[in-house]
Amino acid sequence: MDDRWAPSRRQLLQTMAAAGVVAAADLAWWEEPLVRPGRAWGAQPVRFQFSVPEPKRTALVESLAQRFNQAQKDFEVKVEFVPQAQARQKLVTSIAANNPPDCCQVWDNWVGEFEGMGAVEDLTPRVRDWKHGKDVTPIAWQTVTVKGKILSFPWVVTNDGVYWRTDRAREYGITPPREDWTWDEFRAAARAFTKLDKNQYGFGMRGQGTWAILYATEFMYANGAQVLKDGKVAVNSKEAVEGLEWYLDLFRKDKVCPPSVPTDGWRGIVEGFGRGVTNMYIHNSGSSEEQKDFVGAQNFATLPLPIGPAKKRTSFYFSETLTAFRNGKNREGAWRFMAWLMDDEPNFMYCKTLGLLPARKTLADRPEFAKDPAYAGFIRSFPFSIVSPYLAHAGWGGKLDSEGVPLFQQALVGKLTAREFLDKFADVLAKNMT
Amino acid sequence: MAPSDATVAVALPRSFSSRRARELMTGYLYLVPVAIALGGTIVVPILKAMHMSLFNYVLIKPQEYGFVGLGNYTRLLRDETFWLTLWNSFVWVFGSVSLQFLGGFAAALLLHQSFRGRAFVRTVTLLPWIVPGVVVALVWEWLYQPNYGVINDVLLRAGVLRDRVAWLSDPGLAMPAVIATNVWRGVPFFAIMLLAGLQAIPEDLYEAARVDGAPVTRRFWHITLPLLRPIIIVATATRVIWTFNYADLIFVMTGGGPANATQITSTYTLLMAYANLDFGYAATLSVVLLVIMLVFTVLYLRVTRGIESVT
Repeated sequence: MDDRWAPSRRQLLQTMAAAGVVAAADLAWWEEPLVRPGRAWGAQPVRFQFSVPEPKRTALVESLAQRFNQAQKDFEVKVEFVPQAQARQKLVTSIAANNPPDCCQVWDNWVGEFEGMGAVEDLTPRVRDWKHGKDVTPIAWQTVTVKGKILSFPWVVTNDGVYWRTDRAREYGITPPREDWTWDEFRAAARAFTKLDKNQYGFGMRGQGTWAILYATEFMYANGAQVLKDGKVAVNSKEAVEGLEWYLDLFRKDKVCPPSVPTDGWRGIVEGFGRGVTNMYIHNSGSSEEQKDFVGAQNFATLPLPIGPAKKRTSFYFSETLTAFRNGKNREGAWRFMAWLMDDEPNFMYCKTLGLLPARKTLADRPEFAKDPAYAGFIRSFPFSIVSPYLAHAGWGGKLDSEGVPLFQQALVGKLTAREFLDKFADVLAKNMT
Repeated sequence: MAPSDATVAVALPRSFSSRRARELMTGYLYLVPVAIALGGTIVVPILKAMHMSLFNYVLIKPQEYGFVGLGNYTRLLRDETFWLTLWNSFVWVFGSVSLQFLGGFAAALLLHQSFRGRAFVRTVTLLPWIVPGVVVALVWEWLYQPNYGVINDVLLRAGVLRDRVAWLSDPGLAMPAVIATNVWRGVPFFAIMLLAGLQAIPEDLYEAARVDGAPVTRRFWHITLPLLRPIIIVATATRVIWTFNYADLIFVMTGGGPANATQITSTYTLLMAYANLDFGYAATLSVVLLVIMLVFTVLYLRVTRGIESVT
C-alpha cells in the first residue's frame, strides 16, 4: 500500500484559501484586495457622492465603503464618483431636482450654499450624543456651523503654510527661516531662490481658482486688513490695499515668480515646486505626500506664513466635510456611514494617505502627523489660524471664482491697481451678501 | 353579346381632392418622426431657453426665483464683460477662420499637385482634424507651458527668445496663442473641402488658358478662384458658425483667462451656467448668441442665393 500523503482536492483548495487570507492580511489595510461582499438581506442602499481629483482617492474611498458594508448588515453604501470640477454643479442640480444623494463629501465653502437652498440635514441633535463630539477641535466645528447649526462632519481639516526647498536652500547658502519670519525675510528668500539662468523662481504664486484670492487675503490680513468689519465689507481698506500691493509686486516688480502665474491653479503651483521650477509655494497639507514623491521627503519642509507689518499673520482654516441631505432617501444610513468614517481607523487612514490633518485631537496628536516635518508648518500655524472669512456668506462661494478671480488676474497683469481690484471686488462681495 | 348590367364594373367616383389629401397626409406622416425628433431636441430647448431668459433663475437661490421680464436682457446690455466677450468672439472667429482658410487653401493647392507619396501626405494632413478638440487643447497647453514647454525651449535654444514667454498667461499673447491652435486644427477642414473643389474643375479650362498664354496667376484668378467660390463660401460660413460656438479649446487651455483675455461669449455662457449656476442669465446669453447666428445665417443665405444665380 502506498502510504505517502496526498492532499485531496478539498484540502488543496482550503490551503490555498487560507494562504490568500494570510497574504491579504499582510498588506496595508487600504491596499487589500477589494472582495465585494454579498449584500446582506434587507440592507438599504446609501448613496454617497465623492468628488475625485485623483485615482488614489478613488481606490481609498471604494475600500472604505466596502469596509463599512462588511462591518454591518443594515446598510450598503454605493459611492458615486464625480469629477471635482463638476461636483458642486451636480450637487446643486440634484438638490434642485429633489434627488440629492444621501450624503456627500464637499468643501466647507459649499455647505452654506446648500443650506441656503434648504437642503442640508441639521446634524446638531445627533452630534451632541456622538461619541467623538468633544474630541473634534472647536475651530473644526466652526467651519461647518452655519447660523448656529452644525451641518456637516469636518472629515479632515487643513490650513495654509509655506513649502520650502531645504536642499536648494543649502545649495544657495540661504539660511532656513525662523518660525516667526517676516515679509522682508520671505521676499529676501524668494529673491535668493530665483535663478533665471536655471529656470528657477523663488515663489510659486497662485493666479487661478478660488484659493488665488484666499492666499492674497492671508497677506492682507497680515497687514491688519479684514474682509468684514462690523458686518460690512471692508476688503478695500487701506491696509488691504497695501498688503495686496506688496503681495502682487512679488510677481509684478520683484519677478520672483514664474511667468505662468496668472493661469497657475492648484496643479500649476504643486507641479512647479515638484518639477523644481519654484522653491517656495503656499498650499495646504494636501500636497505634502505628493511632494515626498516629487522632490523627496528630505528635500523640503513646511513653515508657517510670514508675519506682516502689522505684526500679525493668519492662515485660513478649512475642512473637507461629510454632509447629509434633508431629502436623502436614507438619512439614518447616511448618518451611520458618516459617523463610521470619523472613527479612529478609517479617519486616520484617510487623512494619512492623502496628507490631510484629522479634525479629531487624539488622531492629530499621533506622531505620524505631529512629528513629520512635512506637516510641521501647518500644525504650528493652528494657533493663529482662523476660519476663512469668505465662509461668512453663502452667496460668495461661486462668485469668488467667477467674478473675483478674473478681477484678481487683471490686478496681476497690471490692468488694475490693487486699489481698483479691491474696490471692484468689494462691490461683488457687497452685492452677494446672502 | 351585350354585357348585362350586372357584369359591368363601374368605378366608384373618387374626387381628385381626396386622393391628393391622402397623398399629402401620407407625406406628412413620413415627416412626423423627424419633426418630433427635431422639435424635441432643437425647438423645445430653444423655446425653453427663451422662457428661462425671462426669469431670475439662480439654482442656489430658489427663494428668489421669479419672472423678471426683460430684466436679464437689460442686465446684459450693462454687463461690461459681455461686450468684452463679444469683441473677443469676433477676434477669435475671424482670426481663426481667415487664417484657417489661407492655410487650407495653400495646403489644397499643394496637395493637388502630383508628387510621390501624395496619398500619405493627404492622410497626414487630416490628422489635426481627426484628433478630438480636448486632446488638441491639452497637447497645445503643454507645448505653450512657459517653464517646461517645447515651444519656449526650442525658441530659447535657437536664440529667438532671451526670456521665457508665458504664452497663455500674458493677456496680450493668450488670444493669438489659442487662435494659432485653432488654426492648426482647422486648416485640414479647408484643405480637404477646397481640394475636392479643385479636383472638380475641368482640366480643359486650364489647357485652353495655357494655349492662350495665360500665366499661372491669371489662371488662378480667372479659373480657380471663381470656380471654387461656392465651396469657399459654404465652407467659410459653416466654419464661422462652428467657431463661434466652439468653446472646448479655450475652456481647456485658458478657462477664458487670464483676466478674461480669451473669454468668448460661448465660454462666458458656460461660466454663468456652471460656475454661477445662473441659468436665467446663461439662457439670455444663449438667446443672444442664437440671434447673432440667425442674422449671420440670413446674410449667408442671401449671399449663397446670389452665388447660385451666378453659377
